[in-house]
Amino acid sequence: MTRNDLLWVEKYRPKKIEDIVGNEEAKASFVEWLKSKRRTKKAILLYGPPGVGKTALVNAAAKEFGFTVIEMNASDTRSEKAINEVAKPATAYIALDSFSVGSKGNLLFLDEVDGIAGNEDRGGVGAIVKIVEQSRVPVIMAANDPDLDKLRPLKKVSMLVRFQQVRIPRIIVLLQKICLLERVKAEFEALERIAQNSRGDVRSAINDLQSLSEEDHVLTLQDTVMLSSRNKDVTMDETLRAFFSAKSIEEVSTLLRYSSVDYDDFLLSVSDNLPKRYTDPDELATAYNFVSQADVFRGRIGTENWHLLKYFFNSLAEAAAVAPESYKPFQFISPPIRIITLFWTKGKRTTLNNICAKIGAQCHVSIEIAKHSFIPYVKSILQKQKGGPIASWLKLTPEEVDFLIKMGRF
Amino acid sequence: MVAVLSKSAFKLPRVEKEKFVLLLRLGLDYNREQGVFSIKSYNNIEKLMDTIGSVLGTEVVFMQNCTRCGRDFPCSECKYNDLCATKNLPFSCVCSQCLRGRKQFEAYLERF
Repeated sequence: MTRNDLLWVEKYRPKKIEDIVGNEEAKASFVEWLKSKRRTKKAILLYGPPGVGKTALVNAAAKEFGFTVIEMNASDTRSEKAINEVAKPATAYIALDSFSVGSKGNLLFLDEVDGIAGNEDRGGVGAIVKIVEQSRVPVIMAANDPDLDKLRPLKKVSMLVRFQQVRIPRIIVLLQKICLLERVKAEFEALERIAQNSRGDVRSAINDLQSLSEEDHVLTLQDTVMLSSRNKDVTMDETLRAFFSAKSIEEVSTLLRYSSVDYDDFLLSVSDNLPKRYTDPDELATAYNFVSQADVFRGRIGTENWHLLKYFFNSLAEAAAVAPESYKPFQFISPPIRIITLFWTKGKRTTLNNICAKIGAQCHVSIEIAKHSFIPYVKSILQKQKGGPIASWLKLTPEEVDFLIKMGRF
Repeated sequence: MVAVLSKSAFKLPRVEKEKFVLLLRLGLDYNREQGVFSIKSYNNIEKLMDTIGSVLGTEVVFMQNCTRCGRDFPCSECKYNDLCATKNLPFSCVCSQCLRGRKQFEAYLERF
């Protein structure tokens, strides 16, 4: 791999603490803790959003102060056994090389500790707490979300240092520096857009810059148009707006590829909103034809045939581009009517299920059979004879009796 | 009105014991000899600023230090103020003049 093939995030990975952009106070607290000979807490937990320099700081500081990093990250199994195998020897003894000039021994770094979960990592948090208590070397942990209940024991034994998103001006400056070093010409507005879309994540900003940069080409604001939908959690409304206002099939296909909305909800929403989009019956019929095709593909995709997703996207894109010139802004129906209906009828469905469960228990049938074969008759009997013996025999409450009597179609 | 404070040392009016304890718990440090507060921990900066604001009866703003020209400036000067998720912390940023100024940028690069 030549130097030019390197990912820029690797190429420009901070080598020194001062190279890390932003979070000056957090860096200072960490360095003070690491340099201290009498630490009040044996461990430190660096927490904050991804791409703000937590891991980079640990590696840069270790290099600068002469520590050897023993690292366990999310790719390793971090069960009690695995942690004890790796971390215990690293923390229980002072490494021999710590007596050599310029070396301060080991440093245990547990990255992404909030990712310790599931059966594979069983007992991991408890093992870390024990190691921290017995450790003779600094223990550093990093997490994105420190508010998880499972991390509470770790927080008790650690000093907490919060990292924040890196500010837009600081990211722009970094991108300008990289552009200069890589001989990339870029408009200020393009870098500004990349920085804004990164949401304080330096790593993603550098990746975006590299993916958009080409030799002998000036990076313009126009080049960054698709970034807004790649990095943001695009809401259903935003996706629908872009979908219905699209000028071509290609535009819709690209939008759908980058959007992260739930496909089933999106299909329902498109179906609900089509009559608002196309007022001409012929156009509406054509669009519904494409939506039904998309629905067929969605069914075939199921949970595993994702290679068919492009056909689903294509069909939807064709539905959006039946008559691009006729688009007029309208108020979207979102979330889908079906979802709203299910939400509003949840209470009623729960009550009906409870009644069916009581019928099922008395008549020895399933809830489904009670719902379809018994409820119409029970309802009819109760409508004629509200306080009759059937209500007490089925152990129905007065509210349930009222519900059944007033109940419409189910 | 907005109170602009310096992170290294600022004075506050006399507060009750509970409030004083709360301020220290949230991350302030008190220098007995000089009678000034400074920020020791930044983990609860938002709550800390709200509490200082309630003591002063006004919105509190910390000055930002430009990493390029060294000038102190408030966040309100920045065009990204509305988009910024980390207002007031850290206390260093890049001022708007330096951000677009080519000569300043070249001077900054020379440091590397």
